[in-house]
Amino acid sequence: MPGTPISRGLQWLRQSEWSLLLAIAAAVAITAVIDSNHSYYERPYESLRDIARNTAMLGIFSLGAAVVIIAGGIDLSSGSMIALSGTVCATTMLALAPAEMMGFKPVGPLVVAVACSASLLTGFLVGTLHTWLITVIRLPPFIATLATLVGLRSFARALCESGTAALTPTKSALINVADPLFKTVRDNVSIPVTVFLLLAAATWLLLSRTVLGRHLQALGGNEQAARLAGIRTDNVKWFAYCFGAMTAALAGLFYVANESVAAPVNQGRGHELNAIAAAVVGGCSLSGGVGTVPGTVLGAVFLRVVIDAVSKIIKTGADVYEGLIVGIVVVLAVTFAQAGGGPRHDRRLLPGALGLCTIPILALLAGSLTAMTSGGWAGVGTGLTAGLLLVCLRIWEYRSRRAE
Amino acid sequence: MPPSSTIAVAMRGITKRFPGVLALDNVTLEVGRGELHAICGENGAGKSTLMKILSGVYQPDGGQLEVDGRPADFTGTRDAEAAGIAIIHQELALVEDLSVAANILLGREPRTPLGLLDQATCDRTAAELLAGLEAAIDPRTRTGSLRVGDQQLVEIAKALSLDASVIVMDEPTSALTEAESARLERTIARLREQGRTILYISHKMDEVFRLADRITVLRDGRHVCSVDRRDTSPAEVTGWMVGREIAEHQFHEHRSPGPCLLEIERLCLPAAERGRADRLTEVSFRVHAGEILGIAGLMGAGRTEILETIFGAAGDDWTGQIRLDGQPVRFRHPREACQAGLALVTEDRKRLGLFANLDVAGNISLCSLAEATAGGFLSRRSEDRLVAGPISQTGVKTPSPHAAITGLSGGNQQKCIIGRWLLTQPRVLLLDDPTRGIDVGAKAELYTLIDRLCREGLAVILTSSELPELLTLADRVIVLAEGRLTAEFSRAEATEQKIMAAATAS
Repeated sequence: MPGTPISRGLQWLRQSEWSLLLAIAAAVAITAVIDSNHSYYERPYESLRDIARNTAMLGIFSLGAAVVIIAGGIDLSSGSMIALSGTVCATTMLALAPAEMMGFKPVGPLVVAVACSASLLTGFLVGTLHTWLITVIRLPPFIATLATLVGLRSFARALCESGTAALTPTKSALINVADPLFKTVRDNVSIPVTVFLLLAAATWLLLSRTVLGRHLQALGGNEQAARLAGIRTDNVKWFAYCFGAMTAALAGLFYVANESVAAPVNQGRGHELNAIAAAVVGGCSLSGGVGTVPGTVLGAVFLRVVIDAVSKIIKTGADVYEGLIVGIVVVLAVTFAQAGGGPRHDRRLLPGALGLCTIPILALLAGSLTAMTSGGWAGVGTGLTAGLLLVCLRIWEYRSRRAE
Repeated sequence: MPPSSTIAVAMRGITKRFPGVLALDNVTLEVGRGELHAICGENGAGKSTLMKILSGVYQPDGGQLEVDGRPADFTGTRDAEAAGIAIIHQELALVEDLSVAANILLGREPRTPLGLLDQATCDRTAAELLAGLEAAIDPRTRTGSLRVGDQQLVEIAKALSLDASVIVMDEPTSALTEAESARLERTIARLREQGRTILYISHKMDEVFRLADRITVLRDGRHVCSVDRRDTSPAEVTGWMVGREIAEHQFHEHRSPGPCLLEIERLCLPAAERGRADRLTEVSFRVHAGEILGIAGLMGAGRTEILETIFGAAGDDWTGQIRLDGQPVRFRHPREACQAGLALVTEDRKRLGLFANLDVAGNISLCSLAEATAGGFLSRRSEDRLVAGPISQTGVKTPSPHAAITGLSGGNQQKCIIGRWLLTQPRVLLLDDPTRGIDVGAKAELYTLIDRLCREGLAVILTSSELPELLTLADRVIVLAEGRLTAEFSRAEATEQKIMAAATAS
């Protein structure tokens, strides 16, 4: 059995987490070699800073996603929660200090503190709403948070437009935030990184060293048994969903600081899936009960390092490929984790008719990607080579099976 | 040994390895045509693995398989089905949301000339098969809404639809009531009249000796012996299974019940769904400290519901009175029941008791984690100290408190769960069918443990689907039928016949 939660403490990292660390190192090394601008050699500080900031912002709400997943649930709404948190923060500042906000002047630390508290409180309220929908109305977590995924973003946009309409001369879909406190956070990468590491340490302590953490694992492992063992499962769920929503709210504040604007239309859009991906790459099981904080942290780092690697290598328009990269990383990471779980020497990658149809799909994917990034002829070449290799694999698999 | 021309199935020198375990070691088995061959052994002896090899689920690492005298090499269950071998798994493999007919013909659905699903033929075929089994089941019912016994008949109908000449039944009665078991035995008799060969896995000796022509005993993946039923006795077979003789235990003598701890008065529990009969109707009884009260009843008679209602796990719409120490109590959550000194060892260990993602220590300490904390944080050292007590008290055999709970045998898992509750220092222990799916040797150990706990002053309520178990352990037995209490017997009065009569009364 790979790593039960308690034996985890004996070794600092589990085997799968060491492999993840190795994969991160490999991704960095490969980028350093292939990148024709040599940015990792020539601007190591800037490169590190970019990766660190992005990792910290993703990591903060990945921890929330991981806690919800370990408790046996799922929170699809964190991207929209990020947008709502930023909007609540900016609207609160606009309401408390309209003149300063419109004049791009400092609003004062008190106003900032009130605005940030309002955002975190919103996180708590959304988490509580999730718990109510799930435990009282008995919606499946997927449905409840799917509803808030679409609902909260819409709500944030409405809030932004009504807020600006009431408090400023013109209705607007975004609110600029120019307070120097937010600028300090933007310019000092150490702040989000420190917050992320402290939050990770606290979450690790929570999961491995507290009764509540054990109850979260028990809830995710077997909800009915947990209830019959006298655990107040509804309260544990309440904590999990609030933790998920509040970490997203916290991340939302960093999004606002980083972009100097609260933009509910696009801020954090789709990022909930990156957080879930980080948790899953880090070893959390979507069936609940299994997962660690070090794994989730490494999962977030790995995701950001790979995204950064691709943007360094293909130079322009890297954000277009971000989703594709996350998708491929999730498939590969979980495939390797499963392969490590139990040896299945009889496993074939391209069996039967399904395998035959998969060959051109994979070849086409490889070819078109290469064509789009490195030109048409390279794409044709890559596609043909990939197809040929896959055909060879298919023939080899077919033969070795017949030999048995 | 049957003459070779009449051998339906021969397995010679079968060896199967799983990572770290030699599950089968050179096992040889020959089954005559039309024979009912029982395969006995404790859990983990390799019975199920052997049958999975016969039915093509697993491929052996060594040895040969012959069906009807021809060597067979199954690469999947389809090959085995084509050779006329069908298996009815212990965990029923039915799709609950499909109709009975759809399950029976799953993967072999009849089609109309246009290639569409031929629902009418499907239902008719299923109805014919079920009628042949004396089963009053509408082929269009949703399979999940059937009782376990009926689901098993659906599995048998599925095996018959394959026209299998060899049918493997893996512990078919482990989830059945006595009445359903009796019906299954009639079905088996009918299958035998049709000349089918049956391999019957069980560790219930009374069944084996009633049904089998020949008996094969496995232990620790090895073949111990194959004998004619007439040449052996249950005690001898049990001895082969565990490698030692097991004495018949009578525990309840010399126990002296103390004061009354728990009183239940006119307990009623309405149905979970509208339009059904009440789950419990006017049930009254009392339990004393240092006494074991047995609750007998067929499946669905309300045994589990009584325990769950007492424990605050069955909702809050029950009426009547529950008194603990003379004080009326009404628990709204199992947590409150725990705090009041109650403990419930649940019926279905895997589904309702075990945490596969936690290790042995985590499973045991779960209800008393507060005692393993220092300054608000869990301390591994004090957790280890905490669980060392129940591990030795209940005799859990585990390589380490940090071993995976899933690696333990069913009996040891159950001891862990009992240990979990002993840590809460309960005064009333509710045991819901605690030995289900546990092998003979571990059962005897659990009996000794339960008896000792009772002598230490715990009030114990025990339900069981096996009457001998209640007669062995309980001081008094109450009998439920369809949610009503139909009889109460002292140990001296109780017999299996009397209890069965009361359990089937209406």
